[in-house]
This record gives sequence, C-alpha cells and structure tokens, in this order.
Amino acid sequence: MNVTLAVKQYISKMIESSGPGMKVLLMDKETTSIVSMVYTQSEILQKEVYLFERIDSQNRDNMKHLKAICFLRPTKENVENLIQELRRPKYSVYFIYFSNVISKSEVKALAEADEQEVVAEVQEFYGDFIAVNPHLFSLNLQGVARGRSWEPTVLPRVTQGLTSVLLSLKKCPMIRYQLSSDMAKRLAESVKQIITKEYELFDFRKTEVPPLLLILDRSDDAITPLLNQWTYQAMVHELLCLNNNRIDLSRVPGINKDLKEVVLSAENDEFYANNLYLNFGEIGTNIKNLMEDFQKKRPKGQQKLESITDMKAFVDNYPQFKKMSGTVSKHVTVVGELSRLVSERQLMEVSEVEQELACQNDHSNAQQNVRRLLQNPRVSELDAVRLVMLYALRYERHSSSILSSLMEELNRRGVSEKYRKIVQAMIDYGGKRVRGSDLITPTDAVAITKQFFKGLKGVENVYTQHQPLLHDTLDQLIKGRLKDSQFPYLGPSSLRDRPQDIIVFIIGGATYEEALTVYNLNRTMPGVRIVLGGTTIHNTKSERQLSEENRQTGSR
Amino acid sequence: MASGYPPPFEGSAEVKEGFLCPLCLKDLQSFYQLQDHYEEEHSGDNRHVGGQIKSLVQKAIKAKDKLLKRDGDERTETSYESFYYGGVDPYMWEPQELGATRSHLDLFKKHRAARIDHYVIEVNKRIIRLEKLTSFDRTNMDAGKIRALEKSVVPWVSDQDVPFCPDCGGKFNIRNRRHHCRLCGSIMCRKCMEFVPLPLAYKLTSSTREALCVPGSPGKGGSPGAGGPVVQQLPRRGSISSLSSVSSVLEEKDEDRIRCCSHCMDALLRHQHKLEEKDHVPDIVKLYERLRMCMEKVDERAPEYIRMAESLNAGETTYNLETAGGLRLEVQKYYEHIDALSKKILTLGLKDEVQPHPKTLQLQRMVRYSATLFVQEKLLGLMSLPTKEKYEELKEKRREEQEKRIQQERQAALEAQKRRSEMEKNRPILSANGDAPRLAQGPRMTKAGGWLPSSDAVHSRSRELDDPLLQQINNIESFLRQARAANRTDEIAMLEENLRQLQDEFDAQQTSRAIELSQRLAEEESLQQSQLQYLEQRELESKLHTRERSLDFGEEKNVEEHGVTGSNSREDLNVSPVLSPLLKTQSIKSFPRLPGNSPPLQRDERTPTPPAGETLNSSTSASLNPFDEDATPIEEDPTNPFSEEIQKEHGQASSRKNKEYNPFEDKEDQEREGKESGPRNPFEDDVDNDDKGNPFKETSNQTPAASTNPFDEDDDGPAVDDIIEEELLLQQIDNIRAYIFDAKLSGRTDEVELLSQNLRELQSTLQEQKRKTH
Repeated sequence: MNVTLAVKQYISKMIESSGPGMKVLLMDKETTSIVSMVYTQSEILQKEVYLFERIDSQNRDNMKHLKAICFLRPTKENVENLIQELRRPKYSVYFIYFSNVISKSEVKALAEADEQEVVAEVQEFYGDFIAVNPHLFSLNLQGVARGRSWEPTVLPRVTQGLTSVLLSLKKCPMIRYQLSSDMAKRLAESVKQIITKEYELFDFRKTEVPPLLLILDRSDDAITPLLNQWTYQAMVHELLCLNNNRIDLSRVPGINKDLKEVVLSAENDEFYANNLYLNFGEIGTNIKNLMEDFQKKRPKGQQKLESITDMKAFVDNYPQFKKMSGTVSKHVTVVGELSRLVSERQLMEVSEVEQELACQNDHSNAQQNVRRLLQNPRVSELDAVRLVMLYALRYERHSSSILSSLMEELNRRGVSEKYRKIVQAMIDYGGKRVRGSDLITPTDAVAITKQFFKGLKGVENVYTQHQPLLHDTLDQLIKGRLKDSQFPYLGPSSLRDRPQDIIVFIIGGATYEEALTVYNLNRTMPGVRIVLGGTTIHNTKSERQLSEENRQTGSR
Repeated sequence: MASGYPPPFEGSAEVKEGFLCPLCLKDLQSFYQLQDHYEEEHSGDNRHVGGQIKSLVQKAIKAKDKLLKRDGDERTETSYESFYYGGVDPYMWEPQELGATRSHLDLFKKHRAARIDHYVIEVNKRIIRLEKLTSFDRTNMDAGKIRALEKSVVPWVSDQDVPFCPDCGGKFNIRNRRHHCRLCGSIMCRKCMEFVPLPLAYKLTSSTREALCVPGSPGKGGSPGAGGPVVQQLPRRGSISSLSSVSSVLEEKDEDRIRCCSHCMDALLRHQHKLEEKDHVPDIVKLYERLRMCMEKVDERAPEYIRMAESLNAGETTYNLETAGGLRLEVQKYYEHIDALSKKILTLGLKDEVQPHPKTLQLQRMVRYSATLFVQEKLLGLMSLPTKEKYEELKEKRREEQEKRIQQERQAALEAQKRRSEMEKNRPILSANGDAPRLAQGPRMTKAGGWLPSSDAVHSRSRELDDPLLQQINNIESFLRQARAANRTDEIAMLEENLRQLQDEFDAQQTSRAIELSQRLAEEESLQQSQLQYLEQRELESKLHTRERSLDFGEEKNVEEHGVTGSNSREDLNVSPVLSPLLKTQSIKSFPRLPGNSPPLQRDERTPTPPAGETLNSSTSASLNPFDEDATPIEEDPTNPFSEEIQKEHGQASSRKNKEYNPFEDKEDQEREGKESGPRNPFEDDVDNDDKGNPFKETSNQTPAASTNPFDEDDDGPAVDDIIEEELLLQQIDNIRAYIFDAKLSGRTDEVELLSQNLRELQSTLQEQKRKTH
C-alpha cells in the first residue's frame, strides 16, 4: 500500500527489462509528471536513461543507437503519435508501456504501423496517477465538476486514475461512497464497471478482509482547505505552492539564482522526509540543529589548516559536508521564506481565529475576532476573504449572523468584487444545504460528550485544534461504525470485519492536512493501512477556484 | 555485543561473536568480508551449503535492511535499492510486489506478423524487379526496346483505367501525360513521379542478393533467391495490356535512372536506411560501451578496495597493504578512463562542420554528466589507506584490544559458569532436550517407534544455539542421521518432514521476531543499538546453524578464542589515520614494483592523445564545452607518483618528456601555457611559486630535511620517504581537486576559494620536496 513505491517499481521494471545500453524515455505530458514525482534525474541517469522526450515533440533527431522506453497514457493522441513514430522509427527498439487499459483495436493499429519490427514490448503498467507521498496520490485534475455533476470528459480520467491505483496496489476493493454526493455515486459505479469488465485483471489473491474503497466529495468538508496549515509540507504548499514536488521561489526577495526552483522530495531528501509532518515550531528547532551540525563540519573560513593531519580530517569530512550544505541552504531558504510570509501576513493571529472559527462554538467571540482582523491592514486580502468564508460556512444559519456587515467590511477594504463573490460561491459549494454529514455541530450524544471532554482538557496547540472531518469518517469506518445510510456499499455485499486496507478518494481534491491525518492514523492503528487520494491536492487558492468554477458552471 | 543478549546455554567460557566464517570460524571484520572470504575459501567445499547459507544470510540482511532502514557503519556498499519512506514508518508497509501488469505483446506480434509478411513481400518484389530492370545495358539500347523490357517486368496499368493522377488528383490530358511506375506498373503524373538513380538501384539489389543468400534472414525466407522469381514472373506477362499509349512513345529515354512512383520510392528508401543502419555503429556507442565497461569494473573493484581499506584502517591483517595500494591505483585508473571517455563523448562531433542535432548534443552532455556523477559519488567514497607506520600502530592497538577483551570475556565466563551451575538445577528440562515452552509441536514421536536415537552432540553444542528451535532442528538432524545409519526409511521420511516443518517454523519465527523487533524499535529509540546487535547475532546464528545442519557433526571444532572479537573491537579503534611522513617499509616494498607498472600505464595514456591533438582538442572544447572548466579538478593523478619514480630513475630529460605527454595535466593549464608547459611539473601551474609563508613548508620540511643529507642520494631511505610523502600529497591533491570541482558545480564560491588555497599550499609543499630530492 505504498503508492510511491508502486510507481517506482513500475518504472524500474520498465528500465530494467530494456537491457543495457543508452536509453531515451518517451513520455507524454502527464506521464512526465508521474515519473518525475518518483525519480530524480540523477537516479534515473544511473539506469542509463539519458534523454527524456515528449512523444508529441517534433524536435527529435534520429538516434538509432538509443533504445526507447515509451511510457504513455492510452489516449487517442498518444496512440496516433506512436503510430507515426513507429512508421518512421527514430530509435532502434521500442518498449511500449501504457499507463492504463488499451483497446485491442489500438494494439492492432500499432502493430500494423510497426513495419520495421522495432517494437520489443507492449504492456500495460498501471502507473496512471501522481504519487505524492507513500500514502497520498493525486490526479492533478482541476475543474472536475460542472455544477453538481461530473464534467463529462473528466469522469473517465478519474475512473482510470482510480482503477490504476487499485491495480498498482493489487487491490480489488468493495466500494462505499458518500450518498449525499451524486458525483461520488457516479464515480463508484464507473469504477465498479471497470472492475467487472476487466475482471481478469482484478483477479488478485484474496485476502481475509477485502480492501475497501471509500469515495467522498470535497463539498462535504469545505472548511479544511480554508485553514492555514502549520506542518512543513502543508505550509509549503499553502504559502509557496508545491507542484509535483517543486516549488517556485523566484519571487522571494534576494534569492540566490540556484534556489529559484527547488525540489522537495521525501524520496531523496532525508531532512524533508523526517520533517514532512512536523509543525512549524519543531521545524525551526530542527533547522537550527541542522545548521549547528553544519557549522561544526564546515571548514573554518579563516583558520588555516596547519598540518596534513588537519587537511586530511577536513578532506575526509568533506563529502558529508558537501551533501549537507545543499540540504541546509535549501531548507534554510524555504523555512526563511515561510517565516517571512508568516510574519508579513500575520498568519499566527489569522490562524488562531480560523481555528477558533472552525472548532469553537462561540459566535460573539468569533464575530469580534473576525471583525478585528478585517480591520487590520496587514492581513492580506486573501486571508480576509478566507476568514469571511469560514465565518459564512460556520455560522451560515446563525440567528444573528453578521455576514452582511462583514461583506461590507470587505468592500471597505477594497477587496475586489471577484473575491467577494467567492464567499457566496463557497456557501453554495460547501454550505449546509449540500453537506451530507454534519461538519460542524455534533448531534449525537457521543460526539457531544467527546467535544465536552475536549473542552475540559483544553487545547494543546491553538493553531492545530482542527481535525478534518476525514478523521472522524475514517475513525468510524475502522471501528465499523460508519453509517450505511450515509455511506452505502455499492452492490449487495458489505464488509463485516474491521477493514484493513482502505483507499480513500476525495472528489474535488484532498489536502495536506488530511494527508497528515491519514499518516497519523496509519501510525497509530496497527493493522490498518490507508491511502488517500484526490483529484488534486488543495490549498486555499485552488479550493477557491474550485468553488468559483462550480458557481460559474452551475449558474450556466 | 553480548550485553543486550545473554547466551543462555553456555557450556564453557567461550563465546563466539562477530562475523565468523561458518566453516573455519575465522573472524572477519564485516559482513561483506565474510561473504567474500566464504566465496574465496570455501567455494569448493560444498555448493549446497553455500547456497543455503547465502539464502539464509540474504534473508536476514533483507529483514534487517527493511526493519532498521539504515546502513550499518561497516557497510559502505549499498547495492540494494533503498527507499525513503517519506516519513512513513517502513514496518507498516510490508514488502510490496510489482503492481498488476498485462502484456499485449502476443496480440501485437500476431497482427504485426501478418503485416510484416505483406510488407516484406512487397519490398522484395520491388527489389527483384529493380534487379531485372538494371540487368541490361541501358545506355546502348534504344528506348523502345528498353520500354518493352521494362514492360515485361511488371504489368502496366492500362491508361484508360486511370483518368486522374491517383496521388495529386490532376486530370491527365495531352499536356499532363501519364507515366508508369516501372516497379509496380501504376500510373502517375510527372509531378508525382520519382526516379531511382542507378547507383542506388545497384546498391539495393546487391545487398539483397547478399541478404537472400544468408540462410534464414528475417522475412525473406519465403523468396528462394534472385533467380527464382524471374521465372515465376514471366508467365504473368500475358496480362500486360498490349496497348502502348501514343503519348508514351514520346517519352525521353532514361539512361541512368528508373522511374517509379513515390510509394515504391518510399519503400525502397526505407529499406535502404534499414540496411545501412544494420552495420553502422556510431562512435558514441563504441565510446559508451567502453565507458560502461570501466564503470562496471569500478563497481566490481571499488567495494573490494573499500573493504580492504576499512580492514587495514582497523589494523587487521587480513589484507596486504601493498595489494590495497595497487588496487587503489587500479580503481583510480578506471576513473581516469571514465573521465577521459566521457569527455570524448561530450566533444563528439563538435569539430564537424555540420553541428550535430541539439538532441545529440544533449545526449552527450547527459552521458558526461552521469559519468561525472558516478565519479563524484564513487571517488569521494574512496577512503585513503593508512601509511605503513600507522598500519603497524593500528595492528598493535588491535592486538592489545583483543587481549584485553579476551581476558574480560574469560572473567565474565567464569562468573557466568558459577551462576549457571546454580541455575542449571532449576531448569533441567530446558537444557536436556532443548524443548522450549514456546515451541508448540516438538516432534516426540521418535520415541514412540521403539527405536530411540540418542540426541548426540546437542548438549555440547547447545551453547551456541540459544534458540530452542535451532536446537530442535539439530536434534532432529542427528536423529535423522542415526536413522539413516539404521536404515529406518519410514522414520527418515517422518523426520525429514519434521525437519522441514521446523525449518519453516524457524524462518517464520525469525521474520515475526524481526517484525516485533522493529515495532519495539519504533517506540524505543534508545534500544536501537542493542537490537541491532541482537539481529546481527541472529544472522550469525543462522549462519552457524546452517553450517551445523549440513555438515558432519563429528567434526566440530573448538571455539576459537580470538573469535570473540566482533566488530566491537573495531569500533573502539581510532580509525582516523594520521599521516606520517616516515613510511620506510611500505615504500621499500612498493618501490621495486613501480617501474614495472608505470611505463605501460604511461604509454597507454599517451598514445590516444598526441600533444597536438590534445591542445587542439582542449581549445575547441574550451570554447564549446560548458563542462570544461569543471573537468579540470576532477582529473586524477595516480600515475604521477610513478612518473616521479621514473624521473628519478631515468634522469631529468626523460621525465620531461613524460611530463609533456602526461595526460593528467590540466588542459586549462596547457592552454594557458601552450607548448612551454612541457618541462614544467603539472603541479606547478596555477600555484604561485612563492613558497614563503607556506604553513606546509615548515611541517613537511622538518622530517625530510632532518634526515636528508644531500650526499645521501644513492641511499634509498630518505628519498623513499619523500616519495611516499609525495604520493600522499598527490592523493590529497586529487581529493581536493575533486572537491573543488564539486563546489564549483554547486556554486559555493567561498568553498572553492578555501579549497583552492589548500590546493595551492599542498602543491607548493610538494614542489618544495621535489626540489630537495633533486
């Protein structure tokens, strides 16, 4: 149940089975990002892959001394491009791997184009998703919905992505979906259809407890993506926008030109791997330790190396030192930029109020705080709108809601019309009317007492009080208490035992906060393995887009 | 090591620990050494045993790697792929097999075969026709006759059937006349017509004749030969339309070409390309193959060297210092080659008038880059050897450690024995038949048969096998042997079944225990170390166990005292070697070998790079090649020490020549200095020659100066001292150059400065010394 490893194994296998010799990797746009998430350039170079080409690129020379490994999505354009390629082959041998199911007729078309007998392999390797973390995948799809239903072209892609995850992990799951969402139901049926159609593929060794696929809809919990996050990965994504493990730092004032774009990959950056899920404070300490460690190893600038012994000691330490220096400068820059943004945008205060809005139930206090922050000129436009959105979602139906006056406040701040419209869009997208489960106010007795106890104990950290709804959903699921009425099974059979392997998919995108939740659940629940996926990985900006699209298309 | 895991069933004071060879109980430093030792020494002993041990050991390693997810200090080689788990505790994610796959190759091949047959037949047909068309003397024949012959080769499509050009759609009329393809007989207009030049036609037909002669050549097996189809073709002539169009009479004569349609031309050209490519091996491939070969050699040799260096640095006597030195040179030699080859690949085609395709250049750059990465990664991990004197020191130290340890062990064992004698009374069952309470199905049926084998050797060995399962397995094995001796076949079968079960159980237990271990590990960080040791002991046990299991038990050897020292003693040793300027023994030993070695090395390098070509090469590469400035520091000079030797032996003049051709001279420098660089020492350049105020001058001066008498020259001693010193210095210089290169690559200018300063200092020290020796 490690999605990163699954893709990595596929790619390694492809490269291995092509034998020794210089190789070129032919990809399309999507597979390029799939591969780049799991392999770094230097890693793949070691496997004799020296060139990376797009199948649709015209600027390719004849290089008959290269072997071509084609990793492509089975789209019409790719097949057409490949046919053209095979008619006039540029490389000596072709190893063709499709990332998903390809039709027999397309195989035939390809075979007929291969008049020069250059194809040595045609396989389906189901790496049709982007593995972000070992337990987190994304499909990098924006704008999946039109109104409250699927964008017709996107549903097949999402189905393909999700089935490829199942195939790469060798799981043939039972499916549960969120009843309140029509999209979830459609997707569940679509996945089921594929499983039935390709039953031969899904014929895996039966496990005692069958795996479970749970399909959820983002609109059920629109609050989570709106909150400022304080774990490393989530912060980087929220504030600097992490895309395919890359962040763009070119806007950072006074940035070194080497660090304009940095790669943060847990696969080959130990510091990042260890600090992915730690909060900002802890990272600060760790960075400090890293620095100190580094200083110790660093050759003293002015101090002359007195003897050969000194020199030797220095030289012996150098490789470690060198390796460290890259990591240090990268992370110091990133964390430095994060803390600059935090203080500039007063995110600490903003986050405190956000968390309060999301977790507490004190309307008068909340409205005061929101108002206060809206008047603070240092709070950015985005954060201001976000606070109002949170307030709107939270106290949508409150008797003395001050939403209208808050909107006026936004107007006075000079927040553009476009931004203000988003607030309404957000309510339409994730408001009470559409929510299936109860996001905010607990209704049953157990939940109320739980919250009561939580209140008694006090909160450990005001910035991380919020638990995404996903936590409760999964918790109940694992304990076997998730209501069939809200999350029905697709098909007649249902799971009697405690589920062990769970794949959760959120239509409309997952968040890094939820990834953290899943990570913690994986850690604390022995025997339970959870993989989280989403059509994309959200931050506030993308969620805003989502609701915006939703509104625009919905009103069409 | 024993602290975390007390051996429960000791019979005597000896405890075996560390990486012991399961066959000769020789203590080896690390796991890899053991493995090698095993492969070297005992490979002939018993393949079966070897296989068993290997599989068990590998299992243990795998478990360990998976569970602990870290490299032991002694393991610098990581051949397995290690994945970081992105913060996810690895034990939760059980080993994962490759995801589902589905192959369409069969279907693909089926469709392709049908198509290929068609395609090949078409092409062959055209070539055979082409052959016929070129078989007569075209120049001395009149057009009409040629036409008739041409018509006889392929039936021409009748003019009436084709009112429009099938390719461009133009209507045929008196001005836009019909033309026939001589290869397929189809009709096209003048615009769409192509010509096969006769040379091409000859080329195509001749290669086909060859290809057809090759038995079983792909796709052409169907056609029996050039002569055959001619006969077959002839009867079809009857179908040729007898009407020759009036217009075609007016056609001009084709003396040196054959008209054909674009489709035929296309097919022929593609066929020709294919033929050309078949034999053509581009330069880059040749170079690349050599490059890969060198890399493989390094991969093969470097771990061996590292093992040696580690062992030597730990003061062990397993390896010979000279062999290690030789190996180091060999490995460095390969790095040289890699560097040179990759540089050649990088500059391929840059001198050509037509610049290669940008993608070709990119490929060359990438190959070079990966070679650079390879060298960087492996070279930086290449540790240096201790000097001879240091080595002696280390050996001494190690001996002392060992003795101390043995004494400690003895004392501990004595106490343990006392304690045990008391304890033994409390648990007689345990030690009697080794049946631990947690073992559920102990095979007791052996006793029921009335034939009772005695559990020999178990007791005496029990001290090594603390696991009850292992003991049980041993018991059963001894029973089995006895049963075999007694010819009790039914018993043997049963016992064997039992044995298998037990072994499975043992494997399972190992795994489960390992998992348990790793879980604890995650919770208790502090216990990690002891658990690692526990696991290592497990490994050892499993090795021991396998050995016991499949060998004759009668041959049991006594536990060797010195086996006690595991990797523990190594850890205690101070591994950081201090360079000593006095290295007499080593240098004397290595000296006679050197002259024999170095000339071939030198020549080897010299021949491919004549000086003129070199400068030319470097100048072009300097202007075009972005890597050039990086390339300088990575240069290695392992042969330089040799050239020093030669210098001393053959006098100044010859050494000068050597210098001039020295491949390791920095190209940049050569450029700067032009031809004049010849007589100069490669290390002189970019050193500021002012030696004053150099901190090294004092330190390095002292020792040789004290002992060097200028009249002493014919005496070997001091000169040799210098040589070794130089060798070390050169080594350091190499390293620092590699680092500078690295620093430059990543743009850390402050480091570059610091490093180059160091380099300068080292170089001037070196020179100072050289001056003294001459």
